[in-house]
Amino acid sequence: MKPLTLRRLLLQCSVLVVILFVVVVVALKFGAVPVSLYALGRDLLRVVFGQSSQISSDYGLIIVNIRLPRILLGMIVGASLSVAGTSFQALLRNPLADPYVLGVSSGASLGAILALIVEPHLSPSPLFAALLTPLGAFLGATATIAAVYFLGRREGQIDSTTLLLGGVITGSFLSAIILFLMSTLTGSLRGLSFWMMGELSTPLQKGVYWFLGIGFLVAAGVIYTTASDLNLLLAGEKEAMHLGVDVPRVRLVVYIAASFLTGLAVSVSGAVGYVGLIVPHVMRFIFGSDHRTLLPTAAIGGAIAVIMADTLARTVVAPTEVPVGAVTAVIGAPLFIYLLRRRLA
Amino acid sequence: MKVSARQRFTCFLFAAAWLSWTATSRAQSASPLSTASPAFREVTDETGRTVRVPQPVNRIISLAPSLTETVYALGLQDRLVGDTDYCDYPADAQKKTKVGGGISPSLEVIASLHPDLVLVTKSFNRLETVHSLDNLGISSYATDPHTIEEIIASSKKLSDVLGVPEAGVAVAADMQRHLGDLQKRLRALPPKRVLFVVWHQPLTSVGKHTFIADTLRLAGAVSIVDAEQDWPQVSLEEVARLQPDFLVFSASHSDAVSPTVDALAALPGWNIVEAVSNRRIAVISEAVNRPAPRIVSAIEDLARQLHPDAFMEKPESGKEKLQKENPAPNLPLAAHSSFSPDAAQAQMFFPGGCA
Repeated sequence: MKPLTLRRLLLQCSVLVVILFVVVVVALKFGAVPVSLYALGRDLLRVVFGQSSQISSDYGLIIVNIRLPRILLGMIVGASLSVAGTSFQALLRNPLADPYVLGVSSGASLGAILALIVEPHLSPSPLFAALLTPLGAFLGATATIAAVYFLGRREGQIDSTTLLLGGVITGSFLSAIILFLMSTLTGSLRGLSFWMMGELSTPLQKGVYWFLGIGFLVAAGVIYTTASDLNLLLAGEKEAMHLGVDVPRVRLVVYIAASFLTGLAVSVSGAVGYVGLIVPHVMRFIFGSDHRTLLPTAAIGGAIAVIMADTLARTVVAPTEVPVGAVTAVIGAPLFIYLLRRRLA
Repeated sequence: MKVSARQRFTCFLFAAAWLSWTATSRAQSASPLSTASPAFREVTDETGRTVRVPQPVNRIISLAPSLTETVYALGLQDRLVGDTDYCDYPADAQKKTKVGGGISPSLEVIASLHPDLVLVTKSFNRLETVHSLDNLGISSYATDPHTIEEIIASSKKLSDVLGVPEAGVAVAADMQRHLGDLQKRLRALPPKRVLFVVWHQPLTSVGKHTFIADTLRLAGAVSIVDAEQDWPQVSLEEVARLQPDFLVFSASHSDAVSPTVDALAALPGWNIVEAVSNRRIAVISEAVNRPAPRIVSAIEDLARQLHPDAFMEKPESGKEKLQKENPAPNLPLAAHSSFSPDAAQAQMFFPGGCA
């Protein structure tokens, strides 16, 4: 492994940030309503210099209040899923692990739906009510990953095939429960496509973006402190333990943080699949499997991927929108098969 | 040089600073939009929300076919600046700017049309759409009629909100006059037991709290399905056990892939339903699926097909007009007029997706 320097890490990240910026500009430009690059640039400069009031109300509404929040949401969701995927892949020592494939996203969806169902009965304070759904999603995600982890263990060792099968089956079981709940309950629950496929189309309250951003930074930061341990874990749990890694602690911390990230993403975007699978792979291919590089690059890469997928979702059949998860699944599922076959070969 | 924990932390801080900058710029830019018109009127919509309606309402967007029809019925078509892909009646509504489907309309297109008011209906649109519009400072007014009486009241109230109360009174009076005539004819007749088929695969009917159930009642019929749920799935066995006098479908001219009555009779298992083997099938226009003034014509049409005797004595001129409007029984059936993928979503995801 090449020794990692801060300069190289910053360089890699800044290259990705430049790509992210370009993708954001493209995402801002394209949509159901055509916007010229000139108007876009002018309005963005005004936003940067705090002169939002001068933006023509037409573009202002569309770019600043519709596309920008959506892109920001896509960024956080993509980064969260991608970091969660990277973490699960390291912990389970399985490159095919991903919150969606392992059923964790479905578990988070179910948790969020249950939280929405009990919410009116608790009549909580507004703040608690706002946090109840992410909390439900987090608990659902944690419970699911624990279940899948135990399903995947055979004679004290994680068995890749069993683990993946366990995840897929758990996911489909949980989806069935979601379907059951949705077809028996009426009321103001979000649509089924949201929980099954994922969507970014609804702008959120301002405070929620803060909660998401800070939540992501804290959880991703916690995972990043274990980056070196995750590198050693790649060699095997026993080996890592011999090298002085407190494996049970790292495992617990990373599981909880990654479940939190999954719950965070699912509570605002539903179950967007395959991002946590593909992005870490691409980043590993480009930058190598050192988690000190992989985690931050995967975060930025995840943001790029989801924004690109969502831009497609908004534009392919505009003005009607496709769930973003449909786009990520169409691209992600074949890639998953490819990776699976290459691994088996 | 190896990366120390401190350097790693610095890097992390960079990322944090960048993300929080993005968040800040977003927070700053989200200042409420300057609303041009100073005059507002506060009204309570049918879901109990207080809505600030700009006065006068010159630019309307409708997010449901029924609302588009109501706007036309009120003579406000010139103020309608946008509607959905499924708004196909009257034909002129197809020429309006489309904002997408009712489930996932494009907020961008809606915003770019600068509407004074966006009309939504609870059974067809999603709560998230309303929240999104709220966040963008766009007023939206929701209707939620469950009976024919409520459709009349709803149209009347909407006309008032849109600033043309006289048109609403006229539309309501016309609807009530037609219904009154109909009740006179049907008064003495026992209701026919029917199964209203919303969709045939899976067999889906209507629950008792839907306006379609009320439509059946007013047409001298009663649904054999008595469900609390709005769009219950019914098993063929249950239908065979209850043996309805008639099956009722709604027709659609737009959906050519749907089966004809003959094809339906040929479907496996359906011949155990006597109404199918005896071809006692009533096909009425898709107006029945839309809680708009035109639903009265569907009620009259159904009553005519179920109780032909009640209409025997005078084959009046209105009948010709009705037949022109309502397709003959062998036209393609679309159990649910707006049963396009989007409406299918509406039904699956938001039980109660008919408008």
